[in-house]
Amino acid sequence: MATPINTPAGSFDALYRDSARDLYAYVRTLLGDDAAAEDVTALAFERAYRRRASFDARRGSQRGWLFGIARNAALDELRRRKRAAPLVGELPDERAPAPEEEADLAVRRTTVRAALAALPPRDRELVALKFHGGLSNAELAAVLGTSESSAGTRLHRAVAKLREACNAPA
Amino acid sequence: MRPRETSTPEQERDLEAIDRALAGEPVEFELRELEELVRDIRATAPAMTPAFAARLEHEVSEGFPTPREPPARVRARGRRWLLLPAGGSLAAVLVALVVVLSDGDDDPTPLPMAGTEQAAPSAALRERSDTDSAPGGAAAADRAARAPAPQASAPGARTAAPARVAPPVGPTQAPRRVERTAAIKLETPEGEFERTTDAVNATVARFGGIVANSQIGESDERGGEATFDLRIPTDRLDRALAALAKLGHVTERSQGLDDITGSFSSARARLTDARAERRGLLRALERATTQAQIDSLKAQLRSVAGRINGLEGRLASLRRRADLATVSLTVRGTGDGPQAGGGAQWTPGDAAGDAVRVLEVLAGVLLIGLAILVPTALLGALIALGLRFGRRRRREAALDPA
Repeated sequence: MATPINTPAGSFDALYRDSARDLYAYVRTLLGDDAAAEDVTALAFERAYRRRASFDARRGSQRGWLFGIARNAALDELRRRKRAAPLVGELPDERAPAPEEEADLAVRRTTVRAALAALPPRDRELVALKFHGGLSNAELAAVLGTSESSAGTRLHRAVAKLREACNAPA
Repeated sequence: MRPRETSTPEQERDLEAIDRALAGEPVEFELRELEELVRDIRATAPAMTPAFAARLEHEVSEGFPTPREPPARVRARGRRWLLLPAGGSLAAVLVALVVVLSDGDDDPTPLPMAGTEQAAPSAALRERSDTDSAPGGAAAADRAARAPAPQASAPGARTAAPARVAPPVGPTQAPRRVERTAAIKLETPEGEFERTTDAVNATVARFGGIVANSQIGESDERGGEATFDLRIPTDRLDRALAALAKLGHVTERSQGLDDITGSFSSARARLTDARAERRGLLRALERATTQAQIDSLKAQLRSVAGRINGLEGRLASLRRRADLATVSLTVRGTGDGPQAGGGAQWTPGDAAGDAVRVLEVLAGVLLIGLAILVPTALLGALIALGLRFGRRRRREAALDPA
């Protein structure tokens, strides 16, 4: 789904409908565990719902705010488990190409999954925030607590590593 | 701190291409590979199971009826740092209030005098047996020094109160007996003289004192002069003086302190000796065999009884002097118009003076409050920032490789 980068300010319900799938994808990529991802996603929405009155549009978008809450919850979960989460390498292949799809597409996506799994956790998180979460670089910076240029540079570096891993001979 | 990272033109071009690809817009031909990568990563995004999607949808529509964590905890976690400066502010306000209110408090509740065993006019003390012999006996009592305190007088100014702390008293020494005196002169504005003299009586009664003597002379309708000889329980003297000072404009004030421990101990030792002598004479009288002996012993007994009576009276007098401070109060009606503290006619000048005084007090309170609040708030903010920074670092550490 092509997620809009900036969520217009609106009701919590609109934020939920606009972000739920992307948020889950990001959290699931970060935690590498279905049950934990569901818990953290639900917890993030609940916290956002209870704190919705404290949202300040001057400090960023609703979407960035929501992903910040989810990131804190996910990192707390990771810290609690005291282990780095296995990432997409363990993901079930829910989006396996249909039989009619080309074989090289299936091969390419399997390669991408493997390359993602090989990335360092911080780079994997950047990729997940950008490509699964659909955040703009400004939102990325707000979530990571860094400057926009720094977030862009780090993202570029992570993507370069990913491209390198994808193009590496098997 | 990490060095500031700047993007190169190539990075900028790639990042723009990623954003366009994510938005479904076409990218340059040479970046098609990047566009394809974006599409593949999006395609590998994990999806919610239908069951979870339905459950989450239900919870959102119901407003999360079953909290996963206590709401108070959620709120407190986000705003806990606010408690630090808030606590500092509260402490500052409390300290400022204490400072302001402690000046001129006229609560008649007696407070113990530090470092002395100054006797209060309590029944327990009055009933203390005079037969208690002075530790160390008469000789030791005679050695006790009589140490009068220096008198202080400064017209128009508040003089320093005499030192309350007495020299250390050893366990074998008698309790300190101190006689306190004070003199205070007040001026009252026109029309306030009579009200002030009435207030003197009420104030003295409020602190459990008595007016031993008073002379009130009204020279004309506007004023006069009154002198009061007051007896105030020593342990309430300071508060009583503060209350009396509020009745008019203080033009003179002084206090004195006289250590009468030596006199007291000496009199008590002599009384003990006299009583012992009387007991000896009574025993001798029982053993007397001749009329001459009996007459001589009776004459001696009469002499000793007279001495005992005299010494008992002296002890009672000394005890009264220790229990009740002597205050000499003079109230003078000036007829010069109202002064600070009230008056029948309140002029704009007085109002301006009062306003300035109020502003001075407010500024003082504000200054004290700020002196405490600012450092406390800064410290609180630093601690809060440190806590947030530490929590963020601990969270980020979860992304470090194990």
